[in-house]
Amino acid sequence: MAALTQDEAAPMVRRAHLARQTLVFAGLLALFAVAFVVSLCVGRFSVPATRALELIWLGATDPWRELTTIEERIVLLVRAPRVVLAALAGAGLALSGAALQGVFRNPLVSPDILGISQGAAFGGALGIMLGIWGFPLISMVFISGMAAVILVGLISRINGRSETITVILSGLVVSSMFSAVVSLLQFVADPNTSLPAIVYWLMGSFATATWERTLIAAPGLIIGGVLLWMLRFRLNILSLDEAEAQSLGARTSRERWLVFGLIAVIVGSQVAVSGIIGWIGIVIPHACRLLVGHDHRALLPASVVLGAGFMVIIDTLARTATAAEIPLGVITALVGAPIFALLLRNHYRERNGS
Amino acid sequence: MVSLTRFATRGLLAAALSGLLAHGAAAEEIIFKDQENREVKLAKAAERIVSIVIPMASTVIALDGGTKKLVGMNPTAKSAVLEGILSKIFPETKDIPSDVTAPNFVPNIEALTATNPDLVIQWGGRGNDIVAPITNAGLNAMLILYGTEQLTRDYMTMTSRAIGKPERIKELVEWRDRVQKDIEAKAKAIPQDKKPSTLYIARALSEIATTGTKGSYNAWYMELVGGRNASAELNGTVTINKEQIAQWDPEIIFLNAFEAKLDVNWVYNDPILSLTKAARNKRVYKMPLGGYRWDPPNQESPLAWMWTANLTQPDIFKYDLRAEMKTAYKTLYNYDITDADIDSILWMKEQSGSANYAQFKAK
Amino acid sequence: MIGLEDATVRFGSRTIIEALSFVVPVGRTLAILGPNGRGKTTTLKAMLGFQPLDAGRKVAPDIVGYVPQTGSSNQRYRALDVAVMGRAAHLGIFGQPGPEDFRIAHSALERAGAARFADHYFDRLSGGERQLVLLARAIATGSQVLVLDEPAAALDLHNQERLLTLLNTLRQPRDKAIVFTTHDPNHALSSADDALLMMPDGQPPLFGPVAEAITPRHLENLYGVPMRVVELAGPSGETHRAVLPAFAGIRAA
Repeated sequence: MAALTQDEAAPMVRRAHLARQTLVFAGLLALFAVAFVVSLCVGRFSVPATRALELIWLGATDPWRELTTIEERIVLLVRAPRVVLAALAGAGLALSGAALQGVFRNPLVSPDILGISQGAAFGGALGIMLGIWGFPLISMVFISGMAAVILVGLISRINGRSETITVILSGLVVSSMFSAVVSLLQFVADPNTSLPAIVYWLMGSFATATWERTLIAAPGLIIGGVLLWMLRFRLNILSLDEAEAQSLGARTSRERWLVFGLIAVIVGSQVAVSGIIGWIGIVIPHACRLLVGHDHRALLPASVVLGAGFMVIIDTLARTATAAEIPLGVITALVGAPIFALLLRNHYRERNGS
Repeated sequence: MVSLTRFATRGLLAAALSGLLAHGAAAEEIIFKDQENREVKLAKAAERIVSIVIPMASTVIALDGGTKKLVGMNPTAKSAVLEGILSKIFPETKDIPSDVTAPNFVPNIEALTATNPDLVIQWGGRGNDIVAPITNAGLNAMLILYGTEQLTRDYMTMTSRAIGKPERIKELVEWRDRVQKDIEAKAKAIPQDKKPSTLYIARALSEIATTGTKGSYNAWYMELVGGRNASAELNGTVTINKEQIAQWDPEIIFLNAFEAKLDVNWVYNDPILSLTKAARNKRVYKMPLGGYRWDPPNQESPLAWMWTANLTQPDIFKYDLRAEMKTAYKTLYNYDITDADIDSILWMKEQSGSANYAQFKAK
Repeated sequence: MIGLEDATVRFGSRTIIEALSFVVPVGRTLAILGPNGRGKTTTLKAMLGFQPLDAGRKVAPDIVGYVPQTGSSNQRYRALDVAVMGRAAHLGIFGQPGPEDFRIAHSALERAGAARFADHYFDRLSGGERQLVLLARAIATGSQVLVLDEPAAALDLHNQERLLTLLNTLRQPRDKAIVFTTHDPNHALSSADDALLMMPDGQPPLFGPVAEAITPRHLENLYGVPMRVVELAGPSGETHRAVLPAFAGIRAA
């Protein structure tokens, strides 16, 4: 085997590593902050940037103020909840994707793999068809999302343990099942009321964001997100193989289900107010790995910030670039793919170069 | 002498008879080209018609003067029947099957063939996927195109021929032509700056959608009556958001008649939309639902134009809508429409508070 | 301590181990010897709790310092971050490692001779270096038991020497029970107190102190290859024993 490497000045390497991480995080945070503020200032309705900033300041310092002019209402009642929701949703989805990829030791999984998004969509479609709106609808969405996860667990239980591959396959089965039922619902739905609602909402969009909807989804997104965040070190352990993880003290089955449950809460809340949004859950964690490495203690925070920033940018483009609202899926692909390709190239170039 | 005339008479008689017979055989068969230039051949006037196209269900009833020939319709047409006056005028419409197609015009072949149609009216210009199942099942399809008044008149004429009542369409087309020319004449002199910007909301409750001008029938008559389409720049029917509506700041807003739960309060109660010129001046109106919804092209379109005209340019157009409706419903459905019916169709209860709407009240 | 009590494992109709009992107390080191397929890995897995038993039970603490043959995490973690994973059991499910945990991890790296590449990325280290890091992780758990799966299998002679020296250093304070599997009986002679020989079918495994268990007769029985024990004089007059397999081409008189 190869001989041990030469001695290097360890402190220098440590400083370089720290410096790099700090730079990356500072960059991501700056990106998010800029995206957030700019998004509040731009839109189809022209509001001068200074006025928009002034309104944000007033809104933040005096939230109960009565809003009378169209400018105030546009910035604080249309844009603000939408940007906040997009940020929370982007963060939640990226976080969920990163955690899922860690637990499955597989870079190709995302929340839809477990059927969570599809299960949640089914609950929502059913609710819409039955004429249920508001908080009860959100609850239905979350419950059916959790039901999907539980179904996956029941199907994949063999000898009292759940092997990773079996869980993934069960997830595929459950997600196709729920997708099929949603299609069925579309067929019997009233074409003038429920059907457009179901179809549109399945597509994924923040266009219907109001403070009410944002505040309904926020608890799930935030609580689920915070708890997942607190699991970031544990995810390092869970991403080892079964034997190693257990020897380090992890109760792998139980802890994996905790992760799934938290992801169901996050994704259920997100789907309930903005439909099925893909791509973010798979690609943002990858991009973050290329930026900060695999350690979940850095990966999860990076995913949160990049996910939030990216989603905000995408949604702002969707509502501003043209008079019509561009579907989110179109833009995520158009914008995200080249950026991701660039990241990949840089990564492999430095890998092969060293 | 006598034998000659007898021969001649007999010959004449024979000739006349065979001429009559020949004329009869030709009169039975109906052949024409539909709007995708396909040949449609009917052995005789159609007796069992399914309309996958939504408005044509009520048009067939109007052309035929009854429901006998209509054996299937689109679910979206069914909801208009149930919500509107057609089920009152023709109660049997409630029982006409609507499972023959999905709302998105994809036919359900089992249900479709079960109704045993001799003619299926379907959209052309939307791809072969919605047509092939019909023709593959050996059924007769007539394809029509959406968008302009001319196309509308043409396919209504085609339908009238197909059901063996080619005379019937004449008075309907004449009426349309008359009203259109009258409006055009009066609207000609309106200067550009006196044309209010108008916005038609094609969908509101799930997401907000409206249409550009190109290819839109709504935009056509909104501009016919002296309005300006606020969303002219768009391409087709697309989703928009409230901020965009605020930016357009339309002077008049027309809401679709497809969403039963949608009424003018959707605009008046919204924090953003209530600040538009239209809301502040109370010029928000939901399209009426009569024998069919007044938004898309149908047999009641001239009523829709007159209604829109009176609301868009109240100083120029002063049609007596109630009188027009009474005449139209008699002609179309042989129905004596009541004042209560008219109030219901025009949503008097819901929007009598809107500007210029009092003119439609019963005298 | 760690061990098995009357443990039996069957795969279908094949019995891998039957009524196997042994114990490694704190302070002693056990080498498990035997060719592949005799149940070395099964025994190891049974002790660690990864292999369900058809009869009998395992004797082991909750946390065992397990050093796998190759780390499953082939990823961009720093070596120090890999080592600090050993602290997981002390932190609880939502816990994050603090400065004390990192200090312990660093000193574990030192004990394992891996401190100088603490900040290097794990996936850029050589196989031998990675193994040291994994050993540090096991040490960092604070467990009194260390279990190493074929630690010398992929190493060249030079690195085998380094590893065995390291093992002896770890044994010295007599504060751990150590178990390792190996193909080479010399490893047992070098760095173990007891040996467990996984004998061929029909014969029970042989457990005993190295001096008694590692004899030419037992080894020949175990491997099916003639063995010779050689005695070597040490620098201070002590005797060291080594084992030579007498391969077909080098059979001496």
